[in-house]
Amino acid sequence: MKNLYGFINAREKVMRGVFLFSAIFSILALATITVFLFVSGVPFIAKTGFAKFIFGSDWAPLADNPTYGIFPMIVASLYVTALSVIIGIGIGLLTAIALYKFCPKKLVVPIRQMIGLLAGIPSVIFGLFGMTIIVPFVRDYVSPTGVGYGIFSASIVLGIMILPTIVSVSLDSLNSVPNTYYEGALALGATKEQATFKIMLPAAKSGILAGVVLAIGRAIGETMAVIMVIGGSPEMPESLFQSVRTLTANIAMGALELNGDALSALIATGVVLFVFTLILNVSFGMLKRDNADKKEKKGKRGAAK
Amino acid sequence: MKKIFALVLTFSLTLCTLGALTSCGGAKFDENKNISVVAREDGSGTKSAFMEIIGLKGKADVSGVIIGANTAAVLGEVKSNPLAIGYDSLGYVTDEVKMLKVDGVAATVENVKNGTYKISRPLNVVYQESKVTSEVNTAFLTFLQSSDAQKIISDNGYVSTKDGAVAYTVVPGLSGEINISGSTSLKPLMEKLAAKFEAVQSGVKVTVGGGGSGTGYNDAKNGVSDFGMISEKFKTEKAENCTYYEVAKDGIAVIVNKENPLDNISMKDLKNIYNVDAGDAAIKTWADVSK
Repeated sequence: MKNLYGFINAREKVMRGVFLFSAIFSILALATITVFLFVSGVPFIAKTGFAKFIFGSDWAPLADNPTYGIFPMIVASLYVTALSVIIGIGIGLLTAIALYKFCPKKLVVPIRQMIGLLAGIPSVIFGLFGMTIIVPFVRDYVSPTGVGYGIFSASIVLGIMILPTIVSVSLDSLNSVPNTYYEGALALGATKEQATFKIMLPAAKSGILAGVVLAIGRAIGETMAVIMVIGGSPEMPESLFQSVRTLTANIAMGALELNGDALSALIATGVVLFVFTLILNVSFGMLKRDNADKKEKKGKRGAAK
Repeated sequence: MKKIFALVLTFSLTLCTLGALTSCGGAKFDENKNISVVAREDGSGTKSAFMEIIGLKGKADVSGVIIGANTAAVLGEVKSNPLAIGYDSLGYVTDEVKMLKVDGVAATVENVKNGTYKISRPLNVVYQESKVTSEVNTAFLTFLQSSDAQKIISDNGYVSTKDGAVAYTVVPGLSGEINISGSTSLKPLMEKLAAKFEAVQSGVKVTVGGGGSGTGYNDAKNGVSDFGMISEKFKTEKAENCTYYEVAKDGIAVIVNKENPLDNISMKDLKNIYNVDAGDAAIKTWADVSK
């Protein structure tokens, strides 16, 4: 009997260790990545000068007098992200609303499934699609300068990529608004459209906003699809139809080929990107908490009555 | 009825979009539009060799450049974009694009060999001396110098620089693995050489990967690969523990789209297309290129 207890005890301890390790592992990974990035990136930024690195406009790591200014790439990243999110929200939100109340019930599930499939397509395939279809099309029919690469093409590709996120998050938050709101609005004489746009949409606002932040995170971090349609010239974006380079593209283009200071510059670019995504994630967390707080308050008010 | 109508509408809409997207017959060469300058990424051997030869060593890319991340990407872009100009390994260029003469000299193997075609560079493998003491690596290096290898080199449009090479003698019972990586300009040739070597030495497996010349240096230096491929003159400071062997010489062809009527370009014009600091001399459109 004592032996059995001993065995169970030992097993308990081992399993406790296993669980503890599993719990710590991802934290460890995060910590290692952060430390790696900052230890190898920050000294380089300090050496080049923070302002020169962030706000410098010339990127020429292999020149005789190397310059490492990533400002054009920061701007390009922001442009691409903003435009793709606008495209994504425009189409995605309307899709969610259509699926919410206006689409025939039979079609809702298949359409949702197809949008889900879209989310599963690897980004390199989006890149291929962009490179072989969108870029030549933009070049021949849309672009005033005769250049197909650039922010415009990248935003379309990214806009399609982030659609599934926006649609599913928006639809979920619309669905989580109590149906009594909708019925109440109808009972007071609102039309179906008025009830959806004026009542349900504002009620689901913070959930939708959280989805948008999630989509922004995906758009700013996307590398493969962007690299294939952005062109890659490290210069200040002045037009939507101009070869530019995003932060992610900058890292991916040089990471395998460069060494020494140029490689450090890429890692430092990584630090900047990391900080951007960190800010986005924190704001996503805050939006979510805000949302939860509100719901809790509403619940309490209901209970008090 | 309404449903059927909606279905038909969706279907035809999809078809129309697809049709509009794929029928790209509208693209025509227009000499008044801006030239699409295509270049390689920083760290590419082809790029550093090309820029050095046309006199732009260490300069940044011209504004509006489109970066192709490897040899195939540059070829693909020039093939599909009527306004493009690019440069690519002579051995790699196919007849889907047009090679320009430079100062009246065609980019051919003979002209590279006799030195009249100026834009050429060596294709090297770099390796750590200590690594090549292993039997299989030594045998491969001997094979690269043999007449068998020289034949493959010249058959594939590259320039063999070893005259009077002797035939390779098979080492009996040789087995092992060889890892090669680096320059995408040398890669297609190296794959053919590797296949031949595997055929004569059946116990040996050769893996050839890409990545670019920068990767070639890094992999050889860090011992990731047995041989790193570089498509430029060997620079000691990039891999101090390594030495090199020149596999072949290769021209860099200046390529344009087939729609482009131009046949010849002067070195001066070429420089002014790729020069970021050209100022007023900068060539922006095909109309500016002297015929």
